[in-house]
Amino acid sequence: MYPTPTNIWERIEFSSLGTTIAESTWMFPTLETLHVIALVSVLGTIFVVDLRMLGWTSNKFAVSAVAKDTLPWTWGAFVLAALTGTLLFVSKASSYVGNPYFLWKMGMLTLAGLNMKYFHFMTWRTVEHWDRDASMPVAVKVAAALSIVFWLAVVFFGRAIGFTLGIFGS
Amino acid sequence: MGDLLYHFTEWLRTTQLVELTLWLSDTSASLWLQTHFWAIPILQCIHILSIAAAFGSILMVSLRLFSLAGTERTMAETERRYIRWIWWSLVMLVVSGSLLVLSEPIRDLINPVFWCKMVGVVLAILASLWFHGRVMRRLAAGGQAGPVIKTGAVLIIVLWCLIMLGGRWIAYAPV
Repeated sequence: MYPTPTNIWERIEFSSLGTTIAESTWMFPTLETLHVIALVSVLGTIFVVDLRMLGWTSNKFAVSAVAKDTLPWTWGAFVLAALTGTLLFVSKASSYVGNPYFLWKMGMLTLAGLNMKYFHFMTWRTVEHWDRDASMPVAVKVAAALSIVFWLAVVFFGRAIGFTLGIFGS
Repeated sequence: MGDLLYHFTEWLRTTQLVELTLWLSDTSASLWLQTHFWAIPILQCIHILSIAAAFGSILMVSLRLFSLAGTERTMAETERRYIRWIWWSLVMLVVSGSLLVLSEPIRDLINPVFWCKMVGVVLAILASLWFHGRVMRRLAAGGQAGPVIKTGAVLIIVLWCLIMLGGRWIAYAPV
């Protein structure tokens, strides 16, 4: 019924998992719905920390306290977004890898991750010096601004994929 | 469920909404949105970001109510931190949502899922008015969150998830 896969993406797409999702009338929209609920939770909670790091909100409270409140929920939601995103990808793998906006989205996700890693391992070392300050050091503000920019870009490219799947590739 | 929605659509087609959508699609504002490829995706991004701000804020207030986050703040401080974000996000949601309707009137207004979502939106706004009005005044005055308030907080989160479900399924309505 399905042609013989000629590359790894088709092998993923024509797997029984991929074809089950693609053939079902309700699975793809349901996964999309969970993806939306997960991603708005990721963004909503990440921006709470970013705005504190910019010194715009919650300035009475320590950055570490704001982060401790939100990060478990950010990570939980991120796991759900990654899981549902992977399942969406599996069902249309070869269309997605041929779509520039999908590749840009993955690039922006990687940059958001690297920005977070750098902040966590480098900037965070001196946290006790600025944790309770209202005005943050430049490195902290830059990390927060980059986080906001990268995540906005992730949303934009993610939405762009849905409008261009028919234009690029099969 | 599919049958029910199908009959709902059939009924919508007999109402004056049809003339309204046809008139809307012919307005110059609608035509502008229809002919600019990036208009709808960008409006949808604004819509999604507004949901993120609203849902994130509602989540943090609810988590504080259950002492699952933000316990170093009082309930009143938590409310003060997030309440403006909740109302302004709602304003942004209504504005971006209205523009999305204007850009695709038939897809939305002659769509049973859209109207189910609108019922959810009205309920969510009424529930939020209750929660951030009466409930918060009582909690700020030192009152305790009883089972009714806690159930209400959970139901508001569930309601928002259902609204997002409706939003996504507008694209998949059986029409």
